[in-house]
Amino acid sequence: MEGSVEETAKAVSKLAVDSSVDPSAPEETISKNALKKAMKNKQKEEERRRKEEEKAKQAAVKASSQSQKPATDDEDMDPTQYFENRLKYLATKKADGKNPYPHKFFVTLTILEYIEKFESLNNGEHLESETVSLAGRIMSKRASSSKLFFYDLHGAGAKVQVMTDARFKMQCSFCFSFAHAEDPSNKWLDSKSGMDEVEFSKFHSSVKRGDIVGVSGFPGKTKRGELSIFPRTFVVLSHCLHMMPRQKAAPGADNANVKKTDIWVPGSTRNPETYILKDQETRYRQRYLDLMLNLEVRQIFKTRSKIISYIRKFLDDLDFLEVETPMMNMIAGGAAARPFVTHHNDLNMKLYMRIAPELYLKELVVGGLERVYEIGKQFRNEGIDLTHNPEFTTCEFYMAFADYNDLMDLTEKMLSGMVKEITGGYKIKYHANGLDKDPIEIDFTPPFRRIDMIEELDKVANLQIPKDLSSDEANKYLADVCLKFDIKCPPPLTTARLLDKLVGHFLEETCVNPTFIINHPEIMSPLAKWHRSKPSLTERFELFINKHELCNAYTELNDPVVQRQRFAEQLKDRQSGDDEAMALDETFCTALEYGLPPTGGWGLGIDRLSMLFTDSQNIKEVLLFPAMKPQDETSAKAAETSEV
Amino acid sequence: MLIIGTGHIQLISCKRFTRVCRMAKLQMDENDRVSVAGRIVARRAFGKLAFLTLRDDSGTIQLYCEKERLVNDQFEQLKNHVDVGDILGASGSLKRTEKGELSVLVNSFAILTKSLLPLPDKYHGLTDVDKRYRQRYVDMIANPEVADVFRKRAKIVSEIRKTVESLGFVEVETPVLQGAAGGAEARPFVTYHNSLGRDLYLRIATELHLKRMLVGGFEKVYEIGRIFRNEGISTRHNPEFTTIEMYEAFSDYQSMMNMTEEIVTRCALAVHGKLTIDYQGVEINLERPWRSETMHNLVKETTGIDFSELGNDLKVAKEVTLRGLGVGLDNKDKSAIEASPSLGNLLNEVFEITVEPKLLQPTFVLDYPIEISPLAKPHRRHAGLTERFELFICGRELANAFSELTDPLDQRSRLEEQVRQHNEKRAVHVAETSGEEENLKQNEDTSYEVTLDDDFLTALEYGMPPASGMGLGIDRLVMLLTNSASIRDVIAFPVLKIQQ
Repeated sequence: MEGSVEETAKAVSKLAVDSSVDPSAPEETISKNALKKAMKNKQKEEERRRKEEEKAKQAAVKASSQSQKPATDDEDMDPTQYFENRLKYLATKKADGKNPYPHKFFVTLTILEYIEKFESLNNGEHLESETVSLAGRIMSKRASSSKLFFYDLHGAGAKVQVMTDARFKMQCSFCFSFAHAEDPSNKWLDSKSGMDEVEFSKFHSSVKRGDIVGVSGFPGKTKRGELSIFPRTFVVLSHCLHMMPRQKAAPGADNANVKKTDIWVPGSTRNPETYILKDQETRYRQRYLDLMLNLEVRQIFKTRSKIISYIRKFLDDLDFLEVETPMMNMIAGGAAARPFVTHHNDLNMKLYMRIAPELYLKELVVGGLERVYEIGKQFRNEGIDLTHNPEFTTCEFYMAFADYNDLMDLTEKMLSGMVKEITGGYKIKYHANGLDKDPIEIDFTPPFRRIDMIEELDKVANLQIPKDLSSDEANKYLADVCLKFDIKCPPPLTTARLLDKLVGHFLEETCVNPTFIINHPEIMSPLAKWHRSKPSLTERFELFINKHELCNAYTELNDPVVQRQRFAEQLKDRQSGDDEAMALDETFCTALEYGLPPTGGWGLGIDRLSMLFTDSQNIKEVLLFPAMKPQDETSAKAAETSEV
Repeated sequence: MLIIGTGHIQLISCKRFTRVCRMAKLQMDENDRVSVAGRIVARRAFGKLAFLTLRDDSGTIQLYCEKERLVNDQFEQLKNHVDVGDILGASGSLKRTEKGELSVLVNSFAILTKSLLPLPDKYHGLTDVDKRYRQRYVDMIANPEVADVFRKRAKIVSEIRKTVESLGFVEVETPVLQGAAGGAEARPFVTYHNSLGRDLYLRIATELHLKRMLVGGFEKVYEIGRIFRNEGISTRHNPEFTTIEMYEAFSDYQSMMNMTEEIVTRCALAVHGKLTIDYQGVEINLERPWRSETMHNLVKETTGIDFSELGNDLKVAKEVTLRGLGVGLDNKDKSAIEASPSLGNLLNEVFEITVEPKLLQPTFVLDYPIEISPLAKPHRRHAGLTERFELFICGRELANAFSELTDPLDQRSRLEEQVRQHNEKRAVHVAETSGEEENLKQNEDTSYEVTLDDDFLTALEYGMPPASGMGLGIDRLVMLLTNSASIRDVIAFPVLKIQQ
């Protein structure tokens, strides 16, 4: 079955249609197969008709639980044909004056609430006096006869079985008149007499996998113990016009509701290779399909939302004020990166998308807002890879009268507390070395390790880095070291860039559990304050987890004269070809001249943190709609031919 | 203890200074030891005595500096080096002066940061409007109430979040940079992504991506985020502004009316503690329920023109309208009426001209014409209308909501119509101006491309549940609740013209 899933997935993304036949599902030509199925259906129906009703139901439950009989006889159809058939079907309904897209359905419980409420029913027990209304998407449909259909209804991250039986004389409708739509109890559905068996069968064969339906009926459990809803009314609320990639028949997955224990929890490992929809391109480009078909994807984004809520609450409790600063600036400052450029027509003004909110937030501290933070998007006009997306989300906060030591304490408290609250413990599992290798464990138990950058480099690599890092001597020394250890550094060979490479090689590699690398040289940190006791260093730290930088913070440089000097030095690096050196922001320097109190500033990459919590190796896993290359018809076609 | 300043900037850990102005006033007894830090906003020095007024985030407190009490030679240092504008840390004990003012009797102090530039005229504040916006920090130092606006803004946003989360909505983040800018009719900002080698647009709404989330099975989602529109600036418009958009499956626009009332009243209570508020001299009553009335009825009530009886002839309708409105119209309004491409547009023009400015008290305007509501579901009872409302307070649109259009075919044809109309307008302008540079620039209103978001339509084809959605302008809500006349008063760093 796996093959067909992938096939559909590809088809929907207008990529290659894999026509190869999956050996696990011995299917011949489409028409033959369909014929065979139709015949088999007919045979079965005749058989069952002879049996008494109760028996038939039992057998049906059994048949469905083995998911042997997908009643969706047109699912082997060509996707384009399928789409056109669905359009025709809608057109006939509209021609009959019916509205196939109702305005509202009154839901009494979410599916999750329904499961919680009625899970304790006994096998075979029905509560016919209760009426509940549920709505969701049909992700699986099984017909045991023309009088009995089973559906899996998905919603709110859970699923429940819908058992529709022609004997209930139920009211099925795929649309309804406007006059009825305001009745909050959906009782209008009962107002007409129920349909007969022929209508019933006709109606249910028009309901497709992927359709969104509302059902009103009573709760109960089947004899085999599956919680179901037995609808008296059944309305199609919205139609899935495309063929839905098929659910894989995994052992055990066909029975029972999604149990809470089955749901992926943050901090544990995931395996996207077991997903129903695997094709990465389709998953990212059509995230809604990914969310529909791969249930734990929903949890990824809920986890992301929890992370952000935790940070917000943590800072609010410390009396921080959330603010919003501009995303479009005349100068892109606060970091070193290539910005996006745009143009304001009316003002005839060139604007840059922000690369960091740092300078504006510090201006607010100058203005007297002593504790501010902003959670928001930053934009960098750089390549797209496993850890980079052109827009990404950060949290930055600034705290007057704090220094980097305070911020290290706060960071430990925030992150360990967050891991504890979201995962229940201090350790998370992460596939750092690929899905085929065992996951590693990352331990967030505070305190985190702290290593002094230059000291540690001297120690680990047995170096004696010259104290005056701005000297030519230091530059030459570091260039030689890189050469000696065969560490590649693309030009320009500025001291800052050479050091960065050495740190990456010798120190970052050791930072699997959360580790602070502290006291960076001034030349690497144009906005950080000089160290109070160590010359030519700054009071800065970066937090590394799993060898990646997660936080960057420092005691803020608040001396406007020194700040101007640092910008001037950056300009020198820029002139020597380092286009990632920082630009001077005159407005910001003026603000410093009005006096910035001693302040600690801190930044965190929220996407990368979300990746750690959700065992994601690709940033696209934690972005709802990641930036993708434009789909190119010709290259898609090329891929098709090469695949077949 | 404090590190004693030597004219050098000293670093002092935050634990020693935390919001002490407020704490000192509320909790502490006389003779308690305190440390405070903040900016000096006033200074009076005599022979052996000096008074400094120190302000921090929480308020102000007086520093009482006696020569004998200060360690070393600090009094001299104070007299010679400490100025208004400097950021100072001081420690000592609490004391009530003869006049009854709670003060810190200072033992020692440190200059934490020297202000190199003079603050604007001490107590009269900063009155140069342009400078207020360009140097917001100076504005905040000089006018403490300015910071209050931003505190209230934070409170409002936080209250909105609390309200919707308590109702089960999940916050998500959708892209700012998009291949096609949809979900509204506005000129987008364009930028270029180097490594993808393509143009990208800054979002003009979050709508189309949030609806994809509904398709994906999220039943209640919202996003609070920045929206960008490449349009002129005014007291009501900034090129980037903040909205909340929220979507709820299986409900209709009625439920969004409740939601809107809930959000706005909760925010008002959070900021004011009451529901009668003053906005620029007008008393606004936010008690629920708010008035709701259809656009047709409002227009009829104000102008006497009943659009439901006008018939289908656009030309006749325009004549009737122009006659009905008579001499009160200025030329701009007249030409807007004449240019209306449909009855729906005409009704909307009349509404905007005659009714909108009069809607001071909160009013839901219901059932907009289909021609101007390309993403709203057709009304369940009235052909030609949609299930849509806008909320007006003080003559301004604050929120916009509808029962969402879920039919992919209907949606496609409406968006195609939108593109067609836009291109038509554009072609007319190009023809009119026949390439003259000057005129082209004036008519730049239409000189951008509108593209169809095909991915969105595909998503709809997979089936979106019946749903309602609402968008609310947070900047305008903050303006209302902070009695601010201009949007620039509620945005910390508004976009301004380039300084000459």
